[in-house]
Amino acid sequence: MINPYIPYLGRLTDIQSLGTGIKLFKVQLENGTPAGEFSYRPGQFAFVSAFGVGEAPFGITSVCGIDNTVDFAVNKVGTVTRALHEMNVGDMVGVRGPMGNWFPLEDIKGKNVIFLGGGIGGAPLRPVITSILHDRNSYGNMTILWAARNPKLLVFTDEYDIWRQSPRTELHLTVDEGDAGWTGNVGLITALLQKVKPSPDNATVIICGPPIMIHFAIIELQKMGFTSEQIITTLEAKMKCGIGKCGRCNIGEKYVCLHGPVFSHMEIKEFLESFL
Amino acid sequence: MNFITHVQLQDWLARMMKDRTVIAPTRAIEDLVRYQPVNSPDAIAFDFTRTAISPKEFFLPASEAILTIERVRQIAAGSNNPEWNVKLGEPELDRSQVLFAIRPCDTHALLALDALLLQEPVDAYYARRRKQTTLIGLACEHPGATCFCTSLSFAPDDSNGMDVMLYPVEGGYALEAQTEKGQVLTDNLALAPYRGERPQKTWLPAEFSVPPRVVWTQLFNDPHWGRLADRCLSCKICAYVCPTCRCFDVRDYIVAQGLGYQKIERLRCWDSCMAEGYQRIAGGHNPRPTKAQRLRNRFYCKFDYYPADFGALACVGCGRCIEYCPVNVDITEVLQSVAIKGETLATNSTRL
Amino acid sequence: MIEQIRATAREILQNKTVDLVIGYEVGTRGATRPAFICSADEVDRLIWNDACTHNLTNYVRGKHVPPKRDAPPARLGLVLKACDARALNVLLRENQVPRGDLYLIGVVCEGMRQDAGFATRTLGDLQPRCQTCTERVPVVYDSLIGERKTSEVFETSEVWQELDRLGVMTPGERQAFWDAEFARCLRCYACRQVCPACYCVECTAEQLDPEWVGIGICTPEKRFFHTMRAYHLAGRCVGCDECARVCPIGVRLDLLNAWFRREVQQTFDYQAGIDATTLVPLATFKPNENLEL
Repeated sequence: MINPYIPYLGRLTDIQSLGTGIKLFKVQLENGTPAGEFSYRPGQFAFVSAFGVGEAPFGITSVCGIDNTVDFAVNKVGTVTRALHEMNVGDMVGVRGPMGNWFPLEDIKGKNVIFLGGGIGGAPLRPVITSILHDRNSYGNMTILWAARNPKLLVFTDEYDIWRQSPRTELHLTVDEGDAGWTGNVGLITALLQKVKPSPDNATVIICGPPIMIHFAIIELQKMGFTSEQIITTLEAKMKCGIGKCGRCNIGEKYVCLHGPVFSHMEIKEFLESFL
Repeated sequence: MNFITHVQLQDWLARMMKDRTVIAPTRAIEDLVRYQPVNSPDAIAFDFTRTAISPKEFFLPASEAILTIERVRQIAAGSNNPEWNVKLGEPELDRSQVLFAIRPCDTHALLALDALLLQEPVDAYYARRRKQTTLIGLACEHPGATCFCTSLSFAPDDSNGMDVMLYPVEGGYALEAQTEKGQVLTDNLALAPYRGERPQKTWLPAEFSVPPRVVWTQLFNDPHWGRLADRCLSCKICAYVCPTCRCFDVRDYIVAQGLGYQKIERLRCWDSCMAEGYQRIAGGHNPRPTKAQRLRNRFYCKFDYYPADFGALACVGCGRCIEYCPVNVDITEVLQSVAIKGETLATNSTRL
Repeated sequence: MIEQIRATAREILQNKTVDLVIGYEVGTRGATRPAFICSADEVDRLIWNDACTHNLTNYVRGKHVPPKRDAPPARLGLVLKACDARALNVLLRENQVPRGDLYLIGVVCEGMRQDAGFATRTLGDLQPRCQTCTERVPVVYDSLIGERKTSEVFETSEVWQELDRLGVMTPGERQAFWDAEFARCLRCYACRQVCPACYCVECTAEQLDPEWVGIGICTPEKRFFHTMRAYHLAGRCVGCDECARVCPIGVRLDLLNAWFRREVQQTFDYQAGIDATTLVPLATFKPNENLEL
């Protein structure tokens, strides 16, 4: 019987800054662990252990088969994330996973895909974008709306040119507050959505960001004619086990770690409890 | 079915205690009967309806280590820099144990927990304890003041899930081994067959039934939950005495430390959705900030979510929460109130 | 007395002196429980008997908070016994709620019985705290209901005798006594939740950043929690003994807090909650204070 509470061991091979208080951790799973078993899809998450402090769930930002490390974007907000931020290359962490469900990349083939990413919420969207770029002709137009509170919180900036240069792909950025060097859009992502006005025809929207952003984005999208089947999001919750045992992450009868974190609006609108 | 006298029972238990941990009901302090490991049959209390705390603590302990981590600072070959080498371990579990005199409601609770914890991915620690424990059930002779198992379609003499079942009869008990684990314990007993009638079911009329899902869905935003929650203290008594509540918290602790060495235990401990900060995330946002939301979640989890997700009711009618709630939040009052409101809704909708 | 309580509640709700009256009612299976009455036509739910053991001051802070962000805070009517009234003074002294938002219905109390407030237990003798209570009349109220009857005040109670027994133990024996008590504890925090003086938004025992005590339900953590709580209550605990009543495992918190109350009384000649203005000894620092104890 595999014990689902025992993590794989991984070594930090690279730590990059993604923004103010946000770092990207690249983890190489150790040879001793059955690393070949760690196969995952965009949307899934894993628990990363800072041994001695605890574990916390993070969306996996790398793509299995394309990236050769398992990557996590970590925002420093609490005890575990602070402990991770204090680590150096070469340190050992635990990785428990992969967990949860994944984005329906097969189902959206042939469709135009619109991404709405807010702040660190962009992290789970990055592997979807990368997967599409590697299979570009299977998908329609790609419209990426990327937002953050200020320019220093925009994540994956070094990939923006790769995205822009892909055929039939547009990238639009916005910040709540600009700074001295910022010449782009200023305003909420809903304002940007109204400006870009993506068409609902043959389209799927994938949203990730703070719950309140998801809430208002869905209202805006519905006004623009998008149906519930066309809207997909990924939710977060406080988690402890990640495998549906500890009971912590439920929104009504749905456990974010088991039935999510990817949910379509068809499911969300039936939720008794609000995801806010 | 066999017949075992009181004296034969004591002998049997005494022999068991030689090479197994036997957990049985004992009087911890006055008027408080709890399941605890016992060394002698004399310590066992037989005069109880059900114990104060459920025996779930022997399958899901209040605190247990689920991982051990050893970090040793070493200088790897061909390097000048010391680095931490990490070794992970799984805690060993105790020797095999017998849980004596478990009531049908508490075994039903274990079956409800099995539906979740033995589902893939299997909770290794709970699974091992379940496997290592032999359940000797004891049918109830009379209902407790807060019992309502029959209203949930369970029975006070139900042997479902027991390895060995005992039914109190004149002069002793009718005994039946139901599983291989049970037979291991009863094989060497020289017992006479039981010649009497199948023991009479203890009478406890069902007073109500659990309302169906559609009623719970319709009443989700009913102001009743807020009024009920006014007096709730958000303590965790109801969850901690409950045989089916299983929510837990997890955190790492350094248990030993030296120069270049750390031993860490990952602890999991009981927790409850009733606690104010239960779902609060780092950064401060709390999805269930009010008592009403948390209290509602507890009842919905028991009667709506858990059955929908795992196929079993997360309540067995033991009534411990009713007995120990200091402000009289009564689960049967809630169920009856939901049922009545459900009928009103049904009447109103047919009238339309 | 019941009629007077109901009449007062009806009046203050009807003339909108208060938005809510917190009192007692009979719940299921004969248990007395806290009642929250928000309209005058519901006041007949209110009762008064010798099972009205709950300290309703505990609900004041939670109910005083406004229901919506820009709404004014709720004004509360509160049925108070003598001990509960002292607990309210502790909250007033600590600026937790403005006096002007409260209408206090003081009730003269002849004592509460043991095992009160639970769904199935038979009421026992007078509670130990009531046996030795010299007050019976609340120290703060807007209306007073009832008259002090000559009822027996016990010279001593079992609890005081137990304190004496603890007092002659060696520190090692005392530690063993309390460790045996705490070993049973489940860390359900019912004792903390029912206490009017425990109102920290985030309890020290649950803080993770910094983490003062771990989450383990083990003796060292439990020893820390109970000792810390007793110290935080020293000089503030009024001895309502609700913490001991609610504990499902019978941990002797009444004894633990009585110990501290006795120490505070002997050292500072101070009892918590007699008024809302006297400085609290353990929460007050005077620069020229004599620090030799």
